[in-house]
Amino acid sequence: MSNNEAKFILGAYRANGRDADDATFGAALAQARSDPALGAWFARTRAHDAAMAAKLREIAPPVGLREAILAGARASRAPRKDRRFPTMWLALAASVAVLLAVTATFWPNRAAAEAAKFAAFAVTDTARGGHEGHGEAAGALQSMLANPATHLGAGLPMDFTALRTSGCRTLNFAGHDVLEVCFQREGAWFHCYIARAGDFPARAAGAPATFTSDPHFASASWSDAAYHFVVVSNAGVEAVKRLL
Amino acid sequence: MSSEVFTQLVDAYYTPLYRFALSLAKSPADAGDLVQQTFFIWATKGHGLREAAKAKSWLFTTLYREFLHGRRRDSRATSLEDLPPGEADVAAEDVDRATRMDASAVVVALQTVDEVFRAPLTLFYLEDLSYAEIADALGVPIGTVMSRLSRGKAQLRAALAQEETAGKSKVVPFPGAQGRKRS
Repeated sequence: MSNNEAKFILGAYRANGRDADDATFGAALAQARSDPALGAWFARTRAHDAAMAAKLREIAPPVGLREAILAGARASRAPRKDRRFPTMWLALAASVAVLLAVTATFWPNRAAAEAAKFAAFAVTDTARGGHEGHGEAAGALQSMLANPATHLGAGLPMDFTALRTSGCRTLNFAGHDVLEVCFQREGAWFHCYIARAGDFPARAAGAPATFTSDPHFASASWSDAAYHFVVVSNAGVEAVKRLL
Repeated sequence: MSSEVFTQLVDAYYTPLYRFALSLAKSPADAGDLVQQTFFIWATKGHGLREAAKAKSWLFTTLYREFLHGRRRDSRATSLEDLPPGEADVAAEDVDRATRMDASAVVVALQTVDEVFRAPLTLFYLEDLSYAEIADALGVPIGTVMSRLSRGKAQLRAALAQEETAGKSKVVPFPGAQGRKRS
């Protein structure tokens, strides 16, 4: 092995010595020990590599990056629970949703009809699963929703546009964007659907919550001045009521 | 993969991943986005990996692919393999310079190294991956990694000298710059 060949190989030898047991370097290392010129070159190379490695170790990630990663992962991982819903559940949920939607069509009160349609849409989507979403804002909202001290009916401070543009799962209902965030309380999963009040003006702000329940899903629908909400869960209507 | 294991994975690798991303993306904000995107992909796809030992290589590979996917390829990148071999000799002055320069200036110099050399070079200096693992992560033969390390080091030494001479380190806003908020 020529010294140039040895240099070529030793150039990939990490300065921290973690490659000491790698047989690839054995002959080149032995040659560096026996050849003073090669040995001096190797010593300078390792010193330079060590200095560079030390400089890189000084670089700190931006403040908040770790938290953003974890929050984003929570937002994206939560829906996996939904994929376990049996197909039968989806069929049953779809039946309930159709029933709700048909009922809403003949509802004498337009606002109530819209609320029922929105709830039906949410139940169907929950049963379908496959939710994907991420983003720092979605993670923050998810954390807020999961906090037992948060009463959803008391209002949820949020920036709809920021959530949508930063990766929060966004669906289309009746031609308008609807956000969906999954969260967990007391071991049960809930799915919160949020529509802008301005997109559905027929519904009155501050309308009292209404609840639906079937053998598999329960939902709560309510509104405030800025948003219409639906929460769906398979934990039962009492669990949904406790959220508010 | 449980939430606890995922958190451990983030804690173990988000810092070296960020350093690698910063060398590629040249912007703290873009580097932060790359790291987030990498872990997002892990959370949605990579959790299926049964061998936790492969997580490290998987993360670096995915980040690099995401970077390649996101950037515009220029014609320069395709001709770099034809460059002549790098100068192998390291002078004592090179070692002194690397030691006395501050980290921000070193990163700026590293970012001037041609991308095809910069990726293996940064992974090498991070010292988390062996040359074989770097080859696996970047999808190139081992010999190519060794060749790129040799050429990349030569480019870097030249860049460090130029950076020190120009005194650019005094105006570089790194590493205090914050990542761009995602929302």
